[in-house]
Amino acid sequence: MTSTPTKQSRIVYGILVANIVSLLLVGGSKWLATWLEGSHAGNSSGVFIFSSFIIVPLIMGAISAWYWHPLKLKTIQYIGWSAVSTLVACATSFVFLKEGVICLLIVSPLILCFIITGALLARMLYNRKNNTLNSSIAGLAFLVLIADTFSSHENIRLVSDTIIVNAPIEKVWPYVVEYKPITLKEDYWLFQIGMPRPVQSTVDGYEAGAGRKCIFSNGYVFDEKMIVYKPNDELTFDIISQPHDPEIMGHIDILRGQFLLKDNGDGTTTVIGNSWYKLYVFPGWYFNLWSESITRNVHLRVMEHIKILSEEHV
Amino acid sequence: MFDWVVKNFGPLKHVPVLPHVFDAFLKMISLFQHKHLLDYVDDIETEVCSWQNTSVSVHKYGGIQFNTYNRELGHIHGNGLLDVLFSREQKLMLMKQYPVQDHHVFKNSGWISFKIKTIEDKQIALELLKYAYDLKPCPSPHGRG
Repeated sequence: MTSTPTKQSRIVYGILVANIVSLLLVGGSKWLATWLEGSHAGNSSGVFIFSSFIIVPLIMGAISAWYWHPLKLKTIQYIGWSAVSTLVACATSFVFLKEGVICLLIVSPLILCFIITGALLARMLYNRKNNTLNSSIAGLAFLVLIADTFSSHENIRLVSDTIIVNAPIEKVWPYVVEYKPITLKEDYWLFQIGMPRPVQSTVDGYEAGAGRKCIFSNGYVFDEKMIVYKPNDELTFDIISQPHDPEIMGHIDILRGQFLLKDNGDGTTTVIGNSWYKLYVFPGWYFNLWSESITRNVHLRVMEHIKILSEEHV
Repeated sequence: MFDWVVKNFGPLKHVPVLPHVFDAFLKMISLFQHKHLLDYVDDIETEVCSWQNTSVSVHKYGGIQFNTYNRELGHIHGNGLLDVLFSREQKLMLMKQYPVQDHHVFKNSGWISFKIKTIEDKQIALELLKYAYDLKPCPSPHGRG
């Protein structure tokens, strides 16, 4: 004897099954990519391709709608239960994929939007009772997931910022190379809620090839090697090792940093800060909004500090 | 915001799924701006589906589309914007009777746009769709039945 699932159990199944399938798809695609690429996998096991944040949430929404559509739920209920499903997805990513809270905070709007889209589109398709079309769309989504898993994912970006320091260039240069701990009050919201922020920079020499360390608030250290050291002109350094933690740092590599100084001829100096980074999360158009904002605020925090130190003794 | 996106990012409507993501986003925004709007749209869907030979589908540029005999009557976007197709003469006549406007993109066509916000607007939207429904000729001599 079989019993008809109750409304509550259908809603719960819709959330649970969607989340189990998403874990299998994300975990499975990462495992498959790493296994097939073997020792050449490099960082691919750390790459979250756009499918993870677009195709998988769309599929999650479609799975949920499969369980929910016989209940004739209102649109507002679809949105509400999709929001619950997003929270469950974030919790499972925190537990099983070891993602950080801030990382999940950044990605959750994207996941929510695509889960709702998937659920509402699928509700309409299921109501059409056109199973050929439904199967075609499911097959297409699966093909995109597979194709995306094995596509090249290169996303290297540059963020550049400029400030004017009211001090001559020779006063500014020493603080570009190294600076004492930053005591500025934090006003960027992601730093306020716990994202690591730059605190201090030290060097072990004053020439190209010497080491430099950028120390962050939670003790993270970026080991750098100065590759261009031109006093009062340019400091360029490659990042040779950096921490990988569950927060944003696990999904981005800072490749190179650079300070360019220009004498303005009126006792002031223009300081240009450049950073090159590589993103391991896709779609780039969404995550670049965040990484640019974070990199810019790292720049501005350091450059404001350099400005204050340089102007102190003028 | 809807108008700004349509004006500046119009060509992106051809990217698969993107218009539907935008429509889902509009629905989320609508939840905060007009608490009952999504319920009104659900009510309109239920009512239109009760008319003979009608169906609903996903509108290609996002939203819910109402059809009769597989021909479009009109559609509602996630922000409650109803678009209905009439002839230009009918459109001019309706603009005198109802607070409807030129279509938000195709201003010189027979399309009209009407923004649903209140329960009274829901009733007007239904009247407009019913008017369009009654105007649509039956494809066969057997009529609508």
